[in-house]
Amino acid sequence: MTDVEGLLRTLAQGGVEFILVGGVAATAHGSARLTQDVDVVYSRSSDNLARLVSALAPHSPYLRGAPPGLPFRWDKGTLLRGLNFTLTTALGDLDLLGELTGGGSYEDLLTDTISIQVFGVECRCLALEGLIRVKRAAGRPKDLEAVAELEALREEQDRWER
Amino acid sequence: VIEAFKKDIDRTLLQQNLRRTVEERLRNLLELQRFARELVRAGREARDDRR
Repeated sequence: MTDVEGLLRTLAQGGVEFILVGGVAATAHGSARLTQDVDVVYSRSSDNLARLVSALAPHSPYLRGAPPGLPFRWDKGTLLRGLNFTLTTALGDLDLLGELTGGGSYEDLLTDTISIQVFGVECRCLALEGLIRVKRAAGRPKDLEAVAELEALREEQDRWER
Repeated sequence: VIEAFKKDIDRTLLQQNLRRTVEERLRNLLELQRFARELVRAGREARDDRR
């Protein structure tokens, strides 16, 4: 089971610049769908990669689904050579995305985020409109179902705020 | 397609969530994950018992 609280605290307290996206971000907005992993878009700046490496190192990050014993090194060089990483950690599954289909990089997405206070830390979370846009861009059947729920959520929010 | 999916959405769940704080929504997700895991475990045990 993914320790959402532990992962968000680890990243935020480690000073990592990241944006919460995917199912957990949808939950933060009010989605009722069950999600199992944490998806974040991270800044690819050199300082941030160093912070990301330090923050996650104690939690044994490893490539999810890869056979044990691969020569996977959790360091800045590995992050520089790759972009999107689906990881398993001692705190649960974490998808680290350097870029998001339909959304772009951390810097591209930043203006489309909201700040949320959760589990005693502050995180950036992709705004509802942004989530709908990237889910539409992904275009897989499961994403279309998610888009339907997010659009229904937007309608309910509008009703709620009136 | 999306409009067709929308018809099946239980909006009472969304309305319930909108009454919660962000932290309450995420804690509720953690509870659901625990429940789902327990169901998987129980199902596996039931299948093993039948063998």
